[in-house]
Amino acid sequence: MLTYDPDDTLAHRLDPRTKLAVQIGFATTALAHTSPRALFVLSIVAGLILFSARVPLLEALSAYRFALVILAIAPLVAGLTLGSPWFDLTDASASGRASYRVLLILLVSAAYIRSTPVRASRAAIQRTIPGKPGQVLGIGVALVFRFLPVLQADLRTIRDAMAARLGDERGVVERASTLSLLGLSRAFDRADRLALALQARCFAWNPTLPTLAFSRVDYPVLAGALVLALSAAL
Amino acid sequence: MATEQNSVDLVDGDIVRQFARAALLAALLGAAAPVSIPIPLSPAPITLQVLFVFLAGLVLGPVWGPTSILLYLAAGAIGLPVFSGMSAGLGVLVGNTAGYLWSYPLAAGLIGLMVHRDTELRDPAAVSLPVVIVALVVGTILIYGMGTGYMAWLLELGAWEAISLGALPFLPGELLKIAAAIAIVKSGRIKPIQS
Repeated sequence: MLTYDPDDTLAHRLDPRTKLAVQIGFATTALAHTSPRALFVLSIVAGLILFSARVPLLEALSAYRFALVILAIAPLVAGLTLGSPWFDLTDASASGRASYRVLLILLVSAAYIRSTPVRASRAAIQRTIPGKPGQVLGIGVALVFRFLPVLQADLRTIRDAMAARLGDERGVVERASTLSLLGLSRAFDRADRLALALQARCFAWNPTLPTLAFSRVDYPVLAGALVLALSAAL
Repeated sequence: MATEQNSVDLVDGDIVRQFARAALLAALLGAAAPVSIPIPLSPAPITLQVLFVFLAGLVLGPVWGPTSILLYLAAGAIGLPVFSGMSAGLGVLVGNTAGYLWSYPLAAGLIGLMVHRDTELRDPAAVSLPVVIVALVVGTILIYGMGTGYMAWLLELGAWEAISLGALPFLPGELLKIAAAIAIVKSGRIKPIQS
């Protein structure tokens, strides 16, 4: 599983907003081009980005294994035709190139995940999106991070209890509805307690955030992000 | 030392409760990503994620339902492993499953609008059954329409190729999820927050 790893690489030193801009720029241009030459250039850019964050390539690929299955099957499905010639190579290679660029986009986002702590991402969201929507998104994301392991444990407990009572031999609808009903009612009990605790601590629309600042290395990287985004129009 | 003086702008009680529920449902969506239940005679097991998207619309309504799912997408985008196969990253939001992911907030909003008809929430157990069924079926069509449509465009597939890769294997599971969602709201054990 790919997570943040403290380090001192170039990517780690950049402002999170710069790194978000690079990802958006890269995705924009990758979605616009599928020619072999463009893919070659994009591969080099992606390689440099991965190197700048020292992403372990195999770990990143295994993190996206579910997507890789679809990306590998898509060209086969595109190539198959009913009747002669049974397998159309031009269709398959068009789809193959399209799938390859998606792989590059995924790997570039792996570099962000490895090099950016959550609180920096949260501050970036809250500072970029103004007003109450930014607050809701920033605090909400922090709560999702906090409660994910708790609710995973809840679901595990419920599944164990169901299995102990031979619940896993019941019908699919019953299993799905029991699991989600219990999961949801536990989650909402926690939410009600959380709401009370938030109010007790003066939950406000204008709390104080950690400071973010662009450093000298941010500006050339930000310019690079802009070039990537504009190259979509080439 | 420079000091800042601002008055504190407290969040309303009802909004805090809805917001806490939205955040927890978003976390539950993530926690449900690795949970799958095999169904007979189908290659694709059902996952509970779409079921929680239905419930977001049914229980949180047309405003907080989509908000909850946007929180889930944002948390995944900045690195929490909540997408299928415990993956994460902004790239997933433009990758091959992006159409499904972006359809979730729209589907939750649409289901919320059709069931509650207003930002004031009604108890979904009291809403007539055909309305709930139609809302869930429309939501499912929206999810699979956007999901396969985007996949076809992105991977340069034909319409039928995308449908057989991205929709047909999952349809039996979807019908079961609609049944499960109806069983849950009609049990009356989960009440929306009514102001």
